[in-house]
Parts: sequence; structure tokens; C-alpha cells
Amino acid sequence: MKYSRYNYSTEKESTIFEFTSIGNKGHVKKLVQYTEMNIEQYYNLGFGDYNEESGEIDDEIITNNGDSLKILATVVSTIYAFTAKYPKAYVYATGSNDVRTRLYRMGITINLEELKDDFYVYGLKINNSFEAFIPGEDYLGFLVKRKNEKIEI
Amino acid sequence: MTIKDINKAKIPVIRINNKLDKFKNTVLFPKKLAMANKMLENVELPKI
Repeated sequence: MKYSRYNYSTEKESTIFEFTSIGNKGHVKKLVQYTEMNIEQYYNLGFGDYNEESGEIDDEIITNNGDSLKILATVVSTIYAFTAKYPKAYVYATGSNDVRTRLYRMGITINLEELKDDFYVYGLKINNSFEAFIPGEDYLGFLVKRKNEKIEI
Repeated sequence: MTIKDINKAKIPVIRINNKLDKFKNTVLFPKKLAMANKMLENVELPKI
């Protein structure tokens, strides 16, 4: 991939991924989870900090560990790993607030050229319709779907 | 596979982590899931 990313671990079902952000505030564990939505084959991408000591998981925190591009590239990479196991899945992602949604948009934008090789990428517009993702546009959420369900990565 | 190949790969080397099994059948981000379901409730989904 164009941007460096962290290695990560997963469980046997490949729906939960863990990696450690390493930056100016130290080591911060991150969790990514793909959860089935109410629509068949749709999965929500959840992502946040995991405090192993307290057991707390927080998807609203702004960690500012100085490695946001690397984190975003890692989260994007988990989409490849998840859809390698669930190739028919539609992955929907939205931020827990506007700042996080813009962060997701940045993550897609900087990885868009590579993503478009293997995925359809859509943005949910404010008028509640999806369009092919356009960098710089404001979106409420994002949807990706693997183009070739038989692809081996 | 060389180190260079691994660095270029879209998926890094993935380790199986049995510690994550404790989260199985648990929705870790319930607010986010509820929000996502609500957002897509009345939306025309893209036809792919």
C-alpha cells in the first residue's frame, strides 16, 4: 500500500482486528469491528481506542498520537482482510461525530486510488442518496463493496 | 515472499489473536451500529 500501516491481529472469524498505534503519546491499542447491520450483507465498521486495563472502548476519543495517516491506512487494510473472508459484504462506515467522519473521508481519499482497484466506493450525501465517492465532497457515511468477489489478495 | 513484497501487500501479515475471542458476540460499538442502521433505514442503496 502507498502508506505504511501497522500489523494487526484478528480472531478466527476475522470480524475483530486489533493493532497498536505508536506515537508521541505512547502505545494506544485500537480495535476495529465489523458488525452485521439490519440489511443483509451490510456490515458496520466500528473503530476506537481500547484500554486493556479498564476494558473501556472509546470511539469518540481524539488520541492525537501523531500517526493518523498510518492508523487510517491500517483500518483501510482491515477492509481487505475482512472482505477476503466475506467477499459479498458491503462495508458501511460513518464517524461518531463530524470530526471523525471527516477523518474517515481523509482515510478514503488518501487511499482512494488503491481502493478503487478492488472496491466500489460510495459516499452517502446529505440528501440521503449514495454517489460514487468524490474527494472533497461532504458525506454522512461511506460504503465499500469488493468488485471481484473471487479475487485473491 | 520478500520483505519488500510484504510491505507492498494490501494485507499485512495477520496474526491470530485468541484474546480477541472474548469480544465474540459482543457489539463493541453499539451506538455507532444503531446510528448506521438508522442512517440507512430510508436510503436507496446503490445497485451494484
